[in-house]
Amino acid sequence: MDITFNNVSYIYQAKTPFEHKAIADLSLFIPSGSFTAVIGHTGSGKSTLIQHLNGLVRPTKGEVIIGDYHLTQDQKPDELKSLRSRVGVVFQYPEHQLFEETVKKDIAFGPHNFGVPQAEINKRIEQLTPVVGLSDELLERSPFDLSGGQMRRVAIAGVLATEPEVLVLDEPTAGLDPRGQREMMDMFYNLHHQEGMTTILVTHSMEDAVKYADNVVILNDGTKYMEGKPEEVLTQRDALHKVQLDVPEMVQFINKFSEQFGYDIPYRRQSPAELASDIRQILKGGLTNE
Amino acid sequence: MREKLVEFKNVSFRYGEEQPWVLKDCSFEIYQNEAAAIIGHNGSGKSTIAKLMNGLLFPQEGEIIINGRQLTQESIWEIRKDVGMVFQNPDNQFVGTTVQDDVAFGMENRGIERDEMVKRIDNTLKAVSMDSYRLTEPHKLSGGQKQRVAIASVLAIFPQVLILDEATAMLDPRGRRDIMKTVTNVQEERNLSLITITHDLQEVVQAERVIVMNNGEIWDEAVPREIFAKKAELREIGLDIPFIATLSDELRHAGVTITNEALSHEELLEELWTSHSTT
Repeated sequence: MDITFNNVSYIYQAKTPFEHKAIADLSLFIPSGSFTAVIGHTGSGKSTLIQHLNGLVRPTKGEVIIGDYHLTQDQKPDELKSLRSRVGVVFQYPEHQLFEETVKKDIAFGPHNFGVPQAEINKRIEQLTPVVGLSDELLERSPFDLSGGQMRRVAIAGVLATEPEVLVLDEPTAGLDPRGQREMMDMFYNLHHQEGMTTILVTHSMEDAVKYADNVVILNDGTKYMEGKPEEVLTQRDALHKVQLDVPEMVQFINKFSEQFGYDIPYRRQSPAELASDIRQILKGGLTNE
Repeated sequence: MREKLVEFKNVSFRYGEEQPWVLKDCSFEIYQNEAAAIIGHNGSGKSTIAKLMNGLLFPQEGEIIINGRQLTQESIWEIRKDVGMVFQNPDNQFVGTTVQDDVAFGMENRGIERDEMVKRIDNTLKAVSMDSYRLTEPHKLSGGQKQRVAIASVLAIFPQVLILDEATAMLDPRGRRDIMKTVTNVQEERNLSLITITHDLQEVVQAERVIVMNNGEIWDEAVPREIFAKKAELREIGLDIPFIATLSDELRHAGVTITNEALSHEELLEELWTSHSTT
């Protein structure tokens, strides 16, 4: 489903002394099937943005269009539930939202709520458990007996079990160890391609944005600051510094290398191995001191 | 020789008789004014170590000595004055109705005088760049802002040992760096022991010493450079290595001469420059 924000503003506690504009005149377009990374420093409006995507909040001004659903201040879609069955949101630390007696019941809660028949739910759970890296014997256990990493996987399986067309991920790997982070991001990336989902990743990791996204949106002060391909947006050091962000570490290194050695290495989202071979090419040519 | 502030002697811990050991025969020491990092995969026992250090848990075997005092049911209240801890999730750490109340809470419990309290609230909130939020209600803050306040609350009681248990995991990269800078300054000013439990490689590289946990045991203990030289082994136990170490490795594979274990951009650039500029 295409997602469009038309001049959206969102004000918390309007007309009170606590009035706070979280989103200001934000317009953006996220094409169906794309993998979009949303980046911005703390308080830039990322969380408010994603709360619009499944109708948790409605814009104070402007309009959000998700597929055929329109959200404005006065107009909420009659079928909010149907919107939510098509837009799955994995919130930060989703393991805090587990509540059922068993892992299986917890995963089933979402699809059950959306009226998916039990037989179908069972089938989905069977397919999902290996995908998210849970073993079958955990299904009858209490989710609260599991480790933090396993609990996170259960919570994510619960969202995936609703088979959303749009998957929104709010820092899904925070707190996981490096291997857990990589496995989880690879899982989302594979699902994105296999299921043809529209994926929106809110992240602080420039590395993840570069590795997985084909579209990057930078937010600042509740509005869109930059947008484009990762290799175009995430190489603009000065512009990013202005909004308290940094280029990915590899870009930082390439910049310093270019300055010191006087040879430009174009950034094309290369792997460390590819960068090493770029550097070798330059060094092989022989350097002179001046 | 620096003074030992934390000592674990053959400590083992499990949550119940039937449960597997979470920590197995762990011995290590942390010194005054030392910045140590503890790393390891999820479930390796890192956070258990933190909870043992201020008596939130008690070991079944072994001894824990903090600032010269053995940790027992009787001594925990004294020991908790010495050990300040900041957890990953700031929502579980708030008690005050405003930011400044929250920072005051820990001090009130320790009977610190009002004038001194006001001064410390000022200093610590400034140190974490939250002084303009003094009267804000904590639940109105973002995750990162809450964590800054939690850090300020702990710093305000001047602990001898400061434990950050993945305390920066929720912050954005700039926020993370700012907090670490603040924490490092305070640590040096007050001769604190700083123990950072983290997955953030930048924080690990900054530490003087790294303790690597694996499956409840101490896997290795050394300076960062030595630890990150064991690249393949680290990856095997689920850990990552810094970008510069990865790139150095790839450069070697590509046939570029790299002799030192660089950990910073500058070190690697210097190495490339000196070994290739004289042809």
